[in-house]
Amino acid sequence: MENNEHIPCVELKKLVKRFPETVAVENVSLKVKQGEVFSLLGPSGCGKTTTLRIIAGLETADEGEVLIDGQVVNKIPPYRRNCNLVFQNLALFPHMTVEENIAYGLERRKTPKTEIKEKIGKMLDLMHLAGMEKRYPAQISGGQKQRIALARSLVLEPKILLLDEPLASLDRKIRKELQVELRRIQKELGITFFYVTHDQRVALAISDTIAVMRAGRLEQIAPPDEIYDTPRTKFIADFMGATNIFSGRAALKGDREVRLESDEGLVIFAFNHKNIPVEKITGISVHPERIHVLAGDSKSRADNSFKGKIVEMVYQGDFVETKILLLNVENSRSIIVHLNTKLSQKSQFSIGKVVLVQWDKENSNILQD
Amino acid sequence: MRSPKKGKILFIIIVVGYLFLWGPIIVLGFFSFSSDSYGTRWLSFTTKWYGELFQTSALMDAVVRSLIIASVTVVAATAIGTLAGYGLYKYKFLGRRILRTSILLPITVPYIVMAGALLVYFTRVIHIPLGYPAIIIAHISFSAPLAVFITLGRMQRIDWSLEEASTDLGANRLTTWRLITIPLLLPAIFSSAVLIFPWSFNDFTITYFVAGVGTSTLPLYLFSMLQYSLKPVLINGISLIFILLPTIGILVVSSLQRETKKTR
Repeated sequence: MENNEHIPCVELKKLVKRFPETVAVENVSLKVKQGEVFSLLGPSGCGKTTTLRIIAGLETADEGEVLIDGQVVNKIPPYRRNCNLVFQNLALFPHMTVEENIAYGLERRKTPKTEIKEKIGKMLDLMHLAGMEKRYPAQISGGQKQRIALARSLVLEPKILLLDEPLASLDRKIRKELQVELRRIQKELGITFFYVTHDQRVALAISDTIAVMRAGRLEQIAPPDEIYDTPRTKFIADFMGATNIFSGRAALKGDREVRLESDEGLVIFAFNHKNIPVEKITGISVHPERIHVLAGDSKSRADNSFKGKIVEMVYQGDFVETKILLLNVENSRSIIVHLNTKLSQKSQFSIGKVVLVQWDKENSNILQD
Repeated sequence: MRSPKKGKILFIIIVVGYLFLWGPIIVLGFFSFSSDSYGTRWLSFTTKWYGELFQTSALMDAVVRSLIIASVTVVAATAIGTLAGYGLYKYKFLGRRILRTSILLPITVPYIVMAGALLVYFTRVIHIPLGYPAIIIAHISFSAPLAVFITLGRMQRIDWSLEEASTDLGANRLTTWRLITIPLLLPAIFSSAVLIFPWSFNDFTITYFVAGVGTSTLPLYLFSMLQYSLKPVLINGISLIFILLPTIGILVVSSLQRETKKTR
């Protein structure tokens, strides 16, 4: 047991799942490390829930292998797998009390009554839910149900906990609270989490590793900051909120510098951190908050700088989402920037004003495929 | 605000409505206490018919027979119907839709046609002796579809991830059925039983065809009493009893339901 830290908690090898109309999972391989929070992120219908259900044993893979703790579990039924699932709709048993719900799995394992009682007590303490034992699911709040569902699975001390967007139905404030809570509980118990979500904010906030999935395939597996800062493809860049994406042809300039001629005729410079071969480069993305906006008559001092006219400003509280139409470009092309709220109150940054947008080559992210 | 005049009109409508519904029953109950043996004239008050009722062994036998048949039918038809409904909903197989629609047949076909068909089928094709076996099978065949429909209706409103959650937490299929599926289906099972019992107990047409000799149920016995008995007044008495018993039953059940709603 002591030497299994190097064995992945869950490993998928070339997993394929076909449905009559589509291929839901296409050649997915990944490794989940012991004790980490691994998020599978993607839009609805990308096959992430199917992948999760295959790990749980609720669906069978057409091809490929599922390994839990180094053991192939393809043929093991869900009720004998050492993993538990928190369902999207939570699936609390409506005819059982909170206590009975949490005890359900332990009773199936023939755990002695006194031990069950003790474990439930501990779980309810951990979830800050003491005193709720005798209530029915219909009598508690959404956030509380959430915790009960979590407790019901965690009390079995699974090797890995699978979570299918359990926070999706909650309102923003409670969702944030539970996000933090989830992370705390995970650290306290040291159980590996496999978290499926379509919400990139949740994924960024709770994960150690994120895998982005699109149409049944994995596009990138990396830590959250890497996924956010250097998305590999246009799809990921767009999904992570980098709304400025330029497609075009790239050429190498010097050792580590890339010069991209965009389809609109803009020339954009980027720093090639990862030494991506030039023939693979198809575009560049820039996050709106990494772009500076200066008054129109300022001198440009950055690697990339363009003149433009403010055409739209949408107040977002901590920033103003500003759309700037670039001047001197053949096809109309605009850039979205996040303008500091204080700056936005100055008269040189109002709709119709000409401004200078600029960013350094380090903030240009190189896209492939 | 409701004007007092409007209230009065509503009250009258309600009274008339209830009189229309309850009138025949009240009249029947009234004449069951009349000493006239035909039970259609008021002579003087008596309760002797009730005493006589319980001493007429043929009548009591018919009641017992009806209760036995209805009980067996309820258990068998509810079980078969619930399982069939579950299967039709959960499993995909060839001909499922046709099967699902064809279950309507026993309910929509006129009883008399169904009765004749069953009689021919029992006596000429599968040789089931008339009497208890034939009656019970016939009753199951027209009441199980009812349970199927009630089950299907309930199944549509059940969250099936509960079954998956149960297997995920370590319960096998059988345990999941026992602890999760059946409790979820309980309302449907209960409604099926409550509907099927009177269906079976009341049935006249089909039972009349397949009863054979010596197994007349209460409805059959009452019908023959109407034709041949010297004391049709007994019918009033037995009818009143079988009106009051289910009424009390319904009241008890609904008050119990109100209790459980309060505690949940």
